Amino acid sequence: MMQDLLSLIFEPYIFVPLIYPGLIVAFLLLLLVIWLERKIAAKVQLRYGPLYVLKPLGGVIQLVADLLRYLFQEPIIPRATDKLAFITTPILLFATSYLPAIALPVGPNFTAIRSDLSLLLVLALSTLGPIFTLVMGWASNNKFSLIGGVREGYLVVSYEIPMFLSALSMAVLYDSLDLIEIAEAQKGMWGILLNPLAALTMLILIYMSTSKFPFEIPEAESEIVAGPYTEYSGILYGLVMGASYIKMYVLSLLFAILFLGGWNPVPSFMASDPILPGVLVFIKAFIIIFIGIFFRAVYPRFRIDQAMNIGWRLTLPMSILSIILSLLIVWLGGV
Amino acid sequence: MTVEERILELLIGPQHPASGHMRLVAKIDGDIVVELRPNIGYVHRSVEKLAEVKKYLHIIPLVERPSLADTTANNLAYVMALEKLLGIEAPPRAQYLRTLLAEINRIHSHLYGLGIHGVMIGSSTAYMWCFGDREPFIEIAQELTGARLTYSYIIPGGVRRDLPQGFEDRVEKVLRYLENRMKDYFDIYFNNPVTRARLEGVGVLTKEDAIKLGVTGPNLRASGVPYDVRKIEPYAAYPELDFEVVTREEGDALARVFVRIGEIQESMKIIRQVLKNIPEGPIFHEKYVKMVPPKLREYMKETGEVKFPGTFANLRVPAGEAISRVEGGRGEVVFYLISDGKSLSPYRMRMVTPSFRNVILFEHLTKGHRVADIPAIYGSLDYFPPEADR
Repeated sequence: MMQDLLSLIFEPYIFVPLIYPGLIVAFLLLLLVIWLERKIAAKVQLRYGPLYVLKPLGGVIQLVADLLRYLFQEPIIPRATDKLAFITTPILLFATSYLPAIALPVGPNFTAIRSDLSLLLVLALSTLGPIFTLVMGWASNNKFSLIGGVREGYLVVSYEIPMFLSALSMAVLYDSLDLIEIAEAQKGMWGILLNPLAALTMLILIYMSTSKFPFEIPEAESEIVAGPYTEYSGILYGLVMGASYIKMYVLSLLFAILFLGGWNPVPSFMASDPILPGVLVFIKAFIIIFIGIFFRAVYPRFRIDQAMNIGWRLTLPMSILSIILSLLIVWLGGV
Repeated sequence: MTVEERILELLIGPQHPASGHMRLVAKIDGDIVVELRPNIGYVHRSVEKLAEVKKYLHIIPLVERPSLADTTANNLAYVMALEKLLGIEAPPRAQYLRTLLAEINRIHSHLYGLGIHGVMIGSSTAYMWCFGDREPFIEIAQELTGARLTYSYIIPGGVRRDLPQGFEDRVEKVLRYLENRMKDYFDIYFNNPVTRARLEGVGVLTKEDAIKLGVTGPNLRASGVPYDVRKIEPYAAYPELDFEVVTREEGDALARVFVRIGEIQESMKIIRQVLKNIPEGPIFHEKYVKMVPPKLREYMKETGEVKFPGTFANLRVPAGEAISRVEGGRGEVVFYLISDGKSLSPYRMRMVTPSFRNVILFEHLTKGHRVADIPAIYGSLDYFPPEADR
């Protein structure tokens, strides 16, 4: 009985969406990352940060306390909002943020969906979220929300194309759109060393797409209160707040697979098992997340036009150059 | 679409994280500010009218309240006007102590402004650092006066307390601490490429406009006008001290930030000079010392704490008018007092604060800039709504 249950859980089509990289690990990461973000910022700013919830561990379960508060707080729905859109968008935003995770491989032989086009699938699914942010800005019937939604829209058009181009330059380099093949091809040398330009572009744009500092533009507090999330309270706010971290987590996993060698170097006898490859990818992704949350303590935020300049005038040429670089490497003899 | 349809009216405040106690009515066309009108008066506390029913000494804490981060300037300016009416002058040691507190106050007022500006453009680190490093200055001011912000230290004829034992060493320690910290500030905030991108060329105030609009304080000096009341019409111990008026030519938000940093450095220079050159002597005018009972006079000598003479309770001021000017942290503070010579309160008190004179810049500087520039410009002005509303 127990054995059956365990083997059922370790079936890829349950393990991937439910445990790793899906819901449970995503939630634990959310817990840790938000705590860590506040703790790092506090360290830099000569403060303590979260402290009192589980004091021996420095307040690590602060988010659980926050979440409980969100759960018991009345979610106020203003009268003039578009109710259906107002209530459903946070849920859909959260769900679509972690949806791309199902297409991510955990190990060389462990995926929920084995597809030759998994890179495209992940990228395509990751574009769904911003639509709901826009709808959220519209549905709230608040000028600040509207401006925040429009800002998100502007950012989407400026980061999406260069981000996909830089991700696809790795597909050109390894002659495959299958994430497993791309990761396996990095056994000897990681992608970041072969095409550092693509890695840098992708890294900048991951932070832009998840509105981390210095691109925390859609929800800039001192300008437009909380952007699209202004009218939200209670658990609905908890969901929209978590969504951008989940998106960052998924994109960081993708980055780890594309540029940081995925689960390499993993010994071949462990490769069929999801545990060790999964842990390795997770650690690499965590470093990317860590850098992103550290920037909060370093940078102020850009203006929307400056961020769009970075998108179109800096990273778009960079991503095109990175494709050319990939083509050159292939032409010179390949990987 | 007609122009009217394109324009969105945005009410920033009074319930807004970065509006302060005021409302900014912004008309925006897309992301461009067409017009921004500050809606002031939310924290009007009727200080001028209240002064007409309060006794002269009670007005000292009253005038401090509006500008909480920069209380000494108001305190000093009011007492200077009052002393002109009374026809007395504080002894030299008291003048030096007044200067000392004014400069300590200038430093922590500037740090307050820089910190708020930091968080307005998104740097929570600048905010926390400035507010954290403001603390040592508040502590030394507390050691000198007994209060953290509302010092009420300066009284007609002198100051309330003498220097504590070993004060110089502790001040020197604090000054050295801030000097070392300044390097970190430049590394992480002032020279941060994002900070530069957000502030350079934003909200440019030309020299001509600055003079025409009657702007004052660091905002004026950032436009290249070397106007400082401490130099133009020296008061307290300033004539005997050596310091420079910090100016910048650019007139943008970054220049205003750098003028404040420069003034912090000049203030540290002044504090060192004051502590080095401070003359020995009484800290309270001898006319009032004589009125204090002998036993309390002994106590005053021992502890260095001034005891008020009985006449202060119902201080009578000869009829006349007096005006005084002081360079506070945010700019020029002007007090105008009329006494009719009969009542125990002034007939009229006029208090002109720097924030009130700078509020016009909101409308002038933001036109044509982006929505995100509104807080960047607001913060750079170091505007404090309660001070403007009084």
